[in-house]
Amino acid sequence: MALSSSQVPSPGHVLVTGGCGFLGHHIVDLLLERHPQTRVSVLDLRTTSNRSSNPNVSYYDGDLTDKDATKALFQKLKPEVVIHTASPHHTAKNEILFKVNVDGTKALLEVSQETGVKAFVHTSSASVIHNPEEELVNADETYPLIAGKEQPEYYTSTKVWAESAVLAANRTPASFLTCAIRPAGIFGEGDVQLLPKMLSAYFKGQHKFQIGENQNLFDFTYVKNVAHAHLLAVVALLTTHKKLPSIPLDTERVDGEAFLVTNGQPVYFWDFPRQAWKEAGNTLPIESVWHLSFGTMMVVGSLLELACWLLGKTPNLNRQQVQYSCWTRYYNIDKAKRRLGYKPIVPLEEGIKRGVRYILEQREKEANGVAAKKNL
Amino acid sequence: MPKLSSIFYYGVHPSELRSIIQWKVWHNPVHERDESKECETLKQCFFYLDMTSRSFAAVIKELHPELLVPVCLFYLVLRALDTIEDDMTIPLEKKEPLLREFDTVLEKDGWTFTENGPNEKDRELCVHFDVVIEEFKKIKPAYKAIIKDITKKMGNGMADYVNNAEHNIHSVNTIKDYELYCHYVAGLVGEGCTRLFVEAGLANPALLQKPELMESMGQFLQQVNIMRDIKEDFDDKRRFYPKEIWSKHVDKFEDLFKPENQQAALNCTSEMILISLQRADECLYYLAGIKEQSVFNFCAIPQAMAIATMEECFRNPNVYKTNVKISKGQACQLMVDSTQNLQMVCDTFRKYARKISKKNNPKDPNFLNISIACGKIEQFIESIFPTQKSKGGAKLISAEQEAKEKAEAGEARQDTIYMGLAVFLTLFVITGFMVTIAWFAGARFDIAFGQIRNTLFGSGFAGNDLPTNENLKNALTPEHGEL
Repeated sequence: MALSSSQVPSPGHVLVTGGCGFLGHHIVDLLLERHPQTRVSVLDLRTTSNRSSNPNVSYYDGDLTDKDATKALFQKLKPEVVIHTASPHHTAKNEILFKVNVDGTKALLEVSQETGVKAFVHTSSASVIHNPEEELVNADETYPLIAGKEQPEYYTSTKVWAESAVLAANRTPASFLTCAIRPAGIFGEGDVQLLPKMLSAYFKGQHKFQIGENQNLFDFTYVKNVAHAHLLAVVALLTTHKKLPSIPLDTERVDGEAFLVTNGQPVYFWDFPRQAWKEAGNTLPIESVWHLSFGTMMVVGSLLELACWLLGKTPNLNRQQVQYSCWTRYYNIDKAKRRLGYKPIVPLEEGIKRGVRYILEQREKEANGVAAKKNL
Repeated sequence: MPKLSSIFYYGVHPSELRSIIQWKVWHNPVHERDESKECETLKQCFFYLDMTSRSFAAVIKELHPELLVPVCLFYLVLRALDTIEDDMTIPLEKKEPLLREFDTVLEKDGWTFTENGPNEKDRELCVHFDVVIEEFKKIKPAYKAIIKDITKKMGNGMADYVNNAEHNIHSVNTIKDYELYCHYVAGLVGEGCTRLFVEAGLANPALLQKPELMESMGQFLQQVNIMRDIKEDFDDKRRFYPKEIWSKHVDKFEDLFKPENQQAALNCTSEMILISLQRADECLYYLAGIKEQSVFNFCAIPQAMAIATMEECFRNPNVYKTNVKISKGQACQLMVDSTQNLQMVCDTFRKYARKISKKNNPKDPNFLNISIACGKIEQFIESIFPTQKSKGGAKLISAEQEAKEKAEAGEARQDTIYMGLAVFLTLFVITGFMVTIAWFAGARFDIAFGQIRNTLFGSGFAGNDLPTNENLKNALTPEHGEL
């Protein structure tokens, strides 16, 4: 399925929740790039950052968990498509995670069902199939969702429950279609977790170590590819919507389905940060990198955890991070390729380049800001 | 006699020595050529096969009897064509038409070619080409048609290349040119072999519907050879590395060989390896379509050797100094492993992909893409031989369920507390009741407590008022009796 703005009909009025967030604003930008005439509304807790200058975008401050307010807004805006990216940071408190991800998503679904929304695309996470006991080798959508007491990450549990609610709402009413996108390891411009963490390790000189043998493949996904998958899902749902009430073949169906989305380029775990550090100017020869074994680092990790627990601090390294860096975790994205026509539009290398450049520019700005303050 | 250096080498690499012994002792050919039934001209053909081919003769001679002679002749025809193309002593006006019409030569009884230069290593084959033509007459028409068709296509392709080379120093400018050249000299061989296999019913006909797979089989081998042979080719004044690639690393082709450009030269090899490595998954895919063991071995052995050669040459500066080769022990190990089944070949590919990734260096401009190419091989292997099974269909714990379970757990805890309290309370009430009855009945608790104090702290502490043991006995006994 080739995508060019001339071929694809305009999606109509699209409402993006979390449209000022990391992924959300990339979706807004890509949407406008492809359909400059389309109307976009952004609903976010705060709409001050990542704003688009395009006059077709309007911004609304609002809290998803306030169903009445959201409903009033929807009645006024009458969006045809909802892209639901809003979600708190995974380190937020459990109550907040549950309130926004589960209650908020359910409220948004109800409002959408009541106000005649046609297509609802939900941003889930590849972590919904993360099993604390097991690696994921070429995992696909047939892997079971893991939530509740089997899932140590409460964030992930709430994402599982949200996704289940979204998919269960499909075709109720019959004209309401939903699907979920499960991206793995998103990074790119504006990313607040993955690349910034890796680069801060570099700036602190912590890039001289490698844990494990580096034979474990890992998936990382450039944000624009994730945005692209969301838009493909919108197109697919709208296409199905036009053919209602008929239901597509099981092998072609998008509504009611979840899709794993990656760059389709799994790499050996440490090669990703290495490339990022190289982009940031690292010239340390690979020969002088210390190789530490998994076993040693698990001991170090637990000691650090203990020491920091006694001191009431968060450790720089914990056992979970050690495990993550030594585990194989990559996915099979054939379903997204077949049913959504998904194909990554930005290769991994280019994505890293853009993401790192963005961070370096931010740092420079900050440094200049500090310098300017000093001069005052 | 083995050389002293190799005795030393295998002394420190005993596992490789083991592989050699294993291959020499235990390898049983799937099929064996029956020389007693061969006529003189066919024997001659096999003689030239041994003479002209180092790596292919062995696998060809073990092929299924149906294909043994056709593939042997196919090889000799292409070898002769290649010998004419390679020979710089033949003038272009003569060479070009010869290449273009080489398919018609196959129908000319007694045709031979004696105008090769004296140094051309396979000139003997051309001088006695009549034996090949003689045997070619005898094979099935379907095989003849395939061999002729490929000969025609390859001859024309070579003629185009030779023509171009004559007028252009960098005969291979772009990667596209390079892959086109490899298509003529190797991709077409892949096509010819595949058509022969399918015709003989020894491979899945679906392979013909996916031409990119047989193309990759040929490209993979040819590209590795070109990458490895750079020094030898350079000494013979031939260049196959595309300018599009080497010019990214050095200004002039010959600079690749200068020691001061070692890093640039290594990066150049990496890029050459990268473009062939990206085809490895298609080669494995192709092998999945082979139905017969001898054909499988014929296809798999060279592929396994190729990926091992790639690994040997990867980030190895010796590529620009000598002809880098994998050790004999390694070669035997590869032959043992690639003459079993697809899974073993996949294991070999994964092993070498990981070895390549271990040598990968962030300094290399293609660092990440090499990692991606290795990952692609591993992911493809997982798709055909999954090491992990989805535990699909497990029951999901919903948010409500989780909350309910939590509430239930809370309730259960409360229940336990209440239960404990109730038991305690009951015991307390009963005890109180009993004590009261005993008291009503005249039990002397003061004496009992005194006695306890007495035993605990000794009699001195007890005071004089308290009854002695004897008294206590007297005091308690009647009540007991009454109760």
